[in-house]
Amino acid sequence: MSVVADTTTTAAVPSLLVEHRPWWRSRVTLSGAIVGVMLVCYFAAKAQYPWPASLTWNTLPTHLNDFQTWLVDSRNAENPSVVIRAFNGFADFLDSLVNWFSSLLGWMTWVGVTVAGVLVSLRFGGVRAAAWALAAFATFALSGLWVESMQTLALMLAAVGLSLLVGIPLGVLAGLSDRFARAVTPVLDAMQIIPAFAYLMPIVILFSVGPGAAVITTMIYAIPPAIRITALGIRGVPANTVEAALAMGSTPVQSLTKVRLPLARRMLLLSVNQTILFALSMVVIAGLIGGKGLGDVVTSGLNSYPALALLAGLVIVVMAMALDRVTEAVAERTNPARRHLTDDLRRRLRRASVATALVVAAVIAGARIAGVGADYSRRTARDWLLARIQSVLDYVQNPDTFLFQVTSWIGDHIVQYGLVPFRNFLVETPWPVTLVGITLIALVVSGRRPAVTTFLMLGVIGVIGEWASAMDTASQVLVATVLTVAIGFGLGVLAAESRTFSKILRPVNDVLQTLPQLVYLIPLIYLMPVSVVPGVIAGVLYAFPVVARLVENGVRNVEANTVEAAAAFGATRRQILRKVKIPLAQDAIMLGVNQGIIMVLAVVVIGGLVGSPGLGYEVAQGLARSDFGLGVLASVAILALGIALDRVTRGVRRAQLGEEP
Amino acid sequence: MSNRRARPVRLVLAALALVVVGALGVSASAFGRDAAKSCGSVTMDENAWAGATANVYVLKYVLEENLGCTVNIEKLPESTPLFQAMADGKVDVVPEDWNNILLKVNQKYVKSGTIMNLGSNGVIGHIGWFIPTYLMKQYPQFKTWRGLKGKEGIFKSPESGSQGMFLGGDPSYVQKDAQLIKELGLDFKFVSVGAEPAQVARWTQAYKQKKPIIFYWYTPQYLNTAYQLSEIKLPARSKTCVDSYNPKLGSNWGIYKCAYGLTIIDKLMTSKFAKSGSPAVGVIKRWKWSANDQNYVANLIAGKHMDPEKAAEQWVDANPAKVKAWLGK
Repeated sequence: MSVVADTTTTAAVPSLLVEHRPWWRSRVTLSGAIVGVMLVCYFAAKAQYPWPASLTWNTLPTHLNDFQTWLVDSRNAENPSVVIRAFNGFADFLDSLVNWFSSLLGWMTWVGVTVAGVLVSLRFGGVRAAAWALAAFATFALSGLWVESMQTLALMLAAVGLSLLVGIPLGVLAGLSDRFARAVTPVLDAMQIIPAFAYLMPIVILFSVGPGAAVITTMIYAIPPAIRITALGIRGVPANTVEAALAMGSTPVQSLTKVRLPLARRMLLLSVNQTILFALSMVVIAGLIGGKGLGDVVTSGLNSYPALALLAGLVIVVMAMALDRVTEAVAERTNPARRHLTDDLRRRLRRASVATALVVAAVIAGARIAGVGADYSRRTARDWLLARIQSVLDYVQNPDTFLFQVTSWIGDHIVQYGLVPFRNFLVETPWPVTLVGITLIALVVSGRRPAVTTFLMLGVIGVIGEWASAMDTASQVLVATVLTVAIGFGLGVLAAESRTFSKILRPVNDVLQTLPQLVYLIPLIYLMPVSVVPGVIAGVLYAFPVVARLVENGVRNVEANTVEAAAAFGATRRQILRKVKIPLAQDAIMLGVNQGIIMVLAVVVIGGLVGSPGLGYEVAQGLARSDFGLGVLASVAILALGIALDRVTRGVRRAQLGEEP
Repeated sequence: MSNRRARPVRLVLAALALVVVGALGVSASAFGRDAAKSCGSVTMDENAWAGATANVYVLKYVLEENLGCTVNIEKLPESTPLFQAMADGKVDVVPEDWNNILLKVNQKYVKSGTIMNLGSNGVIGHIGWFIPTYLMKQYPQFKTWRGLKGKEGIFKSPESGSQGMFLGGDPSYVQKDAQLIKELGLDFKFVSVGAEPAQVARWTQAYKQKKPIIFYWYTPQYLNTAYQLSEIKLPARSKTCVDSYNPKLGSNWGIYKCAYGLTIIDKLMTSKFAKSGSPAVGVIKRWKWSANDQNYVANLIAGKHMDPEKAAEQWVDANPAKVKAWLGK
C-alpha cells in the first residue's frame, strides 16, 4: 500500500497555496464549535437517545442467517447444483495445486530446496539476495520449523501465482481504461477493508477447509495491490512515447506489449513484491481454515505455548523480509534501463543460467541418492531459541518490574483519560446530534462530497443496527490514529533528516509490518492489563511504519534547490524543516494519515480477539458462534466506517488547496 | 571490468554455500516410519485448548501403537467450519465437543445423517465464578454470591470506573454473566478481554500480584493445578434454568438467575467413518477418560511444554488397564 502511495504523491503538485481566512472561520475553530455543541447535547441528554429501533432493519440478521442455512443445505444436498459443484471442483484443483508444490519441495529434499533458492537468487539478484535467501533457509532449519516453512512456502507459491495471474491482466485493463478503473476501485477497497474473519465462514461453506480455501482467502487480500500497482505502472508510461509508437504505425496491441509493458516493468515487479508481502500477512488466518504451515503453529501455540507461537511469528518475518529483498534485488538488477547488455555479457549470463540449473539438478540428484529427507532433521537451535523467548515472556509477565510500572501506567491513563470518555461521548450523545455533527465536521474540513458520503455511511451503520458498536470502534480507531500519526510523523521526519536513523528504522518497520499481530498481542496484554489498550497499541504498531515511510519520503523528496534557497536566506536547519520541508511535504503527510487510518481499521478485528469491544469483537464472535448475520453486519459497518474516514481524510488536502471535487 | 572481477567472488560464495549445505545433508538421516497396515488412516480434530490436545495425542498414540493406524491431525475452528469439514470427509473424529452440536445451524448435519454424536467422552465440564483461594481466605463471606454484595468495590480496575470488574470468559464460550450480575443486583461491570489466552493473561497476572479478581472460569482445565482457585456459589438451579444468553428468549432475564449446569462433553464421528470398518471405530467408541486423566496430560503439554507425543506415551505407560479397556481386550 505504501508503495502505491509514494508514486501518487510525486505526481501531485506540492503547493504552498493556503488561503487565508479570518481565525473565526478557520477549519479548526469551526470544528471546535461543532464539537462544543455536541458536548453540550451530550451532557444534557446522556445516553437517552440511542439509535431508535424504528429506524433499524430488524429482520436483516435473520435473513442473513437463513442465507447461511440455505448455503449449508445446498452445499450438502444429495445432488448439489452445478454452481456448488463448480466451487467444489475449483477447491479441489487448488488443494491439489498446493499439495503438488508441497510434494515438489519435499521431493527436492531440504538440501535441494536450499541450493536452488540460494543459487537462483544469486543468478538473478546478486550476492546480497543470495545471502538473504541463505539466511532464510538457515532460519527455517534452525528453528526446527522446516516442514511448516515449506508448507507455507507452497501455499504462497500457489496464492501469489494465482493472484498475479488474475491481478496483472486486470491491472493492465485498469491502467488503460478509466471507466474500468473507476468501477473496480470500490471493489478493491472492500476487499482490503473487510476483515478476513468475516468471509471465512462463507468460504468454508463453499470451498470446505484445507489448502484450497486458504489460497482463496489469501487471494482476496493479495489481488488488490497487484491490480493497483500494475495500473499505476501502465498509467505512468509517458503519453508521448505511446503516441510516438502509434504514429510509427504500431497496432494498439503492439503499443501495449512493446511499449507500455516494458516501460512499466519496474512497477510490475513491484506489484509482484507487494503481492507476496500481502499474501504473507494472511498466513495466520489461512492457518485457521486448514492452511497448515507456520500460521497453524501461531494460532495453536497461543493457547498452550506462546513462546512457540512467537518463534513461528519470527520465522514468518524472516521469510517475508527475504522474499522482499530478493524480489527487490531482482527488479533492480534485471532493469534494462540500468544495464547495457553486450553480446558478450549476454552469452555469459546465459552460461551462468545453465550452470545454475545444472548445479541445482546435480545437487537434487545427489541428495536423493544420499537419502536426504524432505525435512531438516539435524540439530536445531529450537530449544535454545524457545528458552530465550520464554525468558523474555517471563520478564514481561512479571508484574514487579520497572518496565511494567511504566507500561501499565501508560495503559491505565490511555483508558481512563482517552478511550473511556471519548467512547462515552460518541456512544451516548443523542444520535441525531452525532450524525449531524460528524457530517458537519466532514463538510468543514473536507468538502461537500465527503460530507455526503459520511452522512450516507453513518446512515447505513444505523439502519443495520450497528450504531453503538460502530461508535465504540470509531473511538478506538481515532485514538489509535492520533497515536499512529504522532509517532509515525516524528520518526519519519527524523529518518528524513538522518540517514543513520533511517537505516535503523527500516528493519524495525519491516518486522512490525510482517509480524502477525496475534503474536505480539500476548506480551502486550501482560504489559498493559486493561481491555481495549492492547488492541489499540497493536493497531498503532501495525500502522505507524507506513506513516513513517510516507513522511520520510515526502520530506526527503522536497526539491533540493528550494531548500538551498531557504538556506541561502539564512534559515536555520530547524526553520528549513518547519517552514519549508514539512509544508511542502503536506501531501505525503496527509496521505500518511489516510493510510494510517485504513490500516488501523484493518487491525480492529484482531483487537476484538483480545477484548476490544465494538465491531471487531462482533466479527470474531460471529465466526466463533456460527452467527453469520452478526459477522456480516459488523463487517459492513467496518467497511462503511472505512469508506467515510478514507473519503474525508483524502478530501482534506483538496479542500485546503481550495479545489472542490 | 567489474563483472569480470565479481564473478570469481560469486563462484566462491556459491561453492561455499554448497559445501556447507552438502555437509549438513550427507550427515542428515531420514528414517520414515512405515505405519498404515490394516487400519488405514483416521483424521482427528484438535481444538485450541490443552485438554483437547491431550485427547488427540493419547488417542493417536494408542491407535498407532496398537492398531497401526495413521492418525492425521487437523486444527480447525469449532462449530460450523469444523462440521462442514466433517461433512466433506476431511475430518473423521472430534474427541471433544462442548455442545456445539446442539446449535440449530449445526443440527442440520446430524439430521442429514452425516455426523453422529457418540455421547460423553467421560469428562464433565463445569462453568462458574472463581476467585483466587488467597482471596477466599481473606473474605470467607465470598463462599456464596450474597457475600459479594457491598464488597464489589475491591474488584475495581481502570476500565470499570466506580464499579468492581467482573472478568468475562472467551466470548465464544457458553455464558450469561452480564445477565446474572444484573439479576443478582450486584454492582459489577462486566468486562470481556476476549479470547482465552488474553483472559488467562489477565487473571494470572492479578494472581501473581495477589490482587482481588473475580472471573468466569471452568473445569477441567490444566491451569487449575498450577493456581489455587475457589468457586463462588451461585443460586441453585431450577428446571427452567438457561445457561447461555440468547436475545431471542426475550428480556425476562430471570431465566438466567441460577448456577451453570454441568456440561456433558461429547465425542463426534462421521457416519461415513463409522461404517468404514476401521478397527479404530470401536476404540474411539469405547474411549472414555476422566477429567483428572486429561488434566494430567494437558499439564505435561501446556504447563511443562513437553512434546505431546511423549506426554501421551507417559500417560499410556502409567495406565495400561484403562488402555486395555479401550482396546476391548
